[in-house]
Amino acid sequence: MSVLGWRALLVFALLAALPLVPGMSRYYLLLAFDALLFGAIAMSLDLLMGYTGLVSFGHAAFYGLGAYATAILMERGVQSVWACVGFAALVVSYFATARRGIYFALLTLIFAEVVYTFFRYTQTFGGSDGIQGLPDATVLPGLVIDTPTRKYYLVLAYLLIAYAICRVVVASHFGRVLVAIRENEDRARFLGYNVPRYKMGACMISALLTGVGGAIYPMRSAFATPDLMLWTESGEFIISVMIGGLGTLVGPIIGGAFFTILRDKVSSIVDWYFIVIGGVLIVIVLFMPRGLLGLRRIFSRRAAA
Amino acid sequence: MILEVDAVSKRFGALTALNRVGFAVDEGQIFSVIGPNGAGKSTLFNVVSGLFAPDAGRVRFRGVDITGLPPERVNRLGLAKTFQITNIFPEISVLDNVRVAAQSRTPESGRLVSLWRRPDVDGVACALLETFGLGARRDAHARDLSHGEQRYLEICVALATDPRLLLLDEPTAGMTPGETRDATALVRKVVLERGLTLLLIEHDMSVVMGISDRVAVLHFGEKIAEGTPEAIRSDPRVIEAYLGGGDD
Repeated sequence: MSVLGWRALLVFALLAALPLVPGMSRYYLLLAFDALLFGAIAMSLDLLMGYTGLVSFGHAAFYGLGAYATAILMERGVQSVWACVGFAALVVSYFATARRGIYFALLTLIFAEVVYTFFRYTQTFGGSDGIQGLPDATVLPGLVIDTPTRKYYLVLAYLLIAYAICRVVVASHFGRVLVAIRENEDRARFLGYNVPRYKMGACMISALLTGVGGAIYPMRSAFATPDLMLWTESGEFIISVMIGGLGTLVGPIIGGAFFTILRDKVSSIVDWYFIVIGGVLIVIVLFMPRGLLGLRRIFSRRAAA
Repeated sequence: MILEVDAVSKRFGALTALNRVGFAVDEGQIFSVIGPNGAGKSTLFNVVSGLFAPDAGRVRFRGVDITGLPPERVNRLGLAKTFQITNIFPEISVLDNVRVAAQSRTPESGRLVSLWRRPDVDGVACALLETFGLGARRDAHARDLSHGEQRYLEICVALATDPRLLLLDEPTAGMTPGETRDATALVRKVVLERGLTLLLIEHDMSVVMGISDRVAVLHFGEKIAEGTPEAIRSDPRVIEAYLGGGDD
């Protein structure tokens, strides 16, 4: 637990207490689910964007593949969370490594668009409707993820594990090399590091965590649709990382949650919510280049002065 | 013999940057390559260190043919280099610059455990920074160092990979004459203490003459002379090509 530090544990304890808040409705619990899931995926993307200096315009493909992995198993009567998550991890790692030759293409829109087109325009997995009407998942025999509270705890557990993994990785030998690659790729080569291998490793870990996040989504929504892999979804992950603050892990979690809640609130009032979100993004980029988490520095500097 | 460069040629389009250049560096030697700007010195370093594959010729390092090997492989065999234009990791701390280089030689490096373990290389890293007078600056961002400090940091980063052969590409570029003298003396001291072999590119003759065991002179991509500093100083071709060439 020393990996997480007492502040992170405190935050997780507070998050765990959220369903106990009086008057917490089903609607808000599911919104909290979405916020934390989006935050966790933005954090996974931050491994690439913030630490390695690579931008992935195709992360929604990993997310969607994870969701379909769960949906396909559930459709066939497999309801175990573990089986679904394991299968999603296998599928995503296959697509993230199997063809080393197209490794850089993986990071582009093209890969995601190909995957999207396959799921959207072929009837193999339900076409544009995707796979609907899935049953509830089970963690253990008899422990069914059927209530919003249980769904919320499922995503919280995922966030906790994903965060711990990211924390360990960025503090490791490997994580240091990623930062060196971000800072100066050529110099890293002259220190004996096989840069493509490290980039590949970062891409793998990020894709796996994103895929597992995708695998959890149908356990809340009971469906997987091609829209999960749309390029706008990848764009929203990137925006969340930027809103929160690159290279901080915690920042993108906040960014993803903030983005999800903002979108939910604004879209319930107006249809053109993207204009509002775009405006917020511009303000953040202009006035908070380090993202929401960058505010922390401003406050701590004032406190010190 | 630690390094053997055998008839290496490198062309960029119509320009012949190196034409059948050859020399050999003995273990423990300080060997300098001098020549006016554009003589092909940096290209020579880039061929030796693996950035470019030569069009012809071979490079052997500690008995291994390294011709055309990529920089990361050449570095792992024990050859480290610095760059003519400062090449460090700007947005991380001075200590982290040296740490990331030093951990390259730990047993974890390149293995799966490197994903969760962080080797402790602070002892090595701090000792190197102390040697180059950067101990007090270890927590500063590398970009905030002065030019001279950055040049030293770059040498620290190269040395942290524990090389047998160190290639320095104009380490004193941009330094004042006073700084150049200090830097030269310090580099010489460190190289002798660690029993390293040093291959030095210089454009400033005064640096080379003081510390080199042997000097080779490049001019328009060809080696025109090689010998002791005294012999080079009095070689008429060198005087003609280099000293009399109006450079500096």
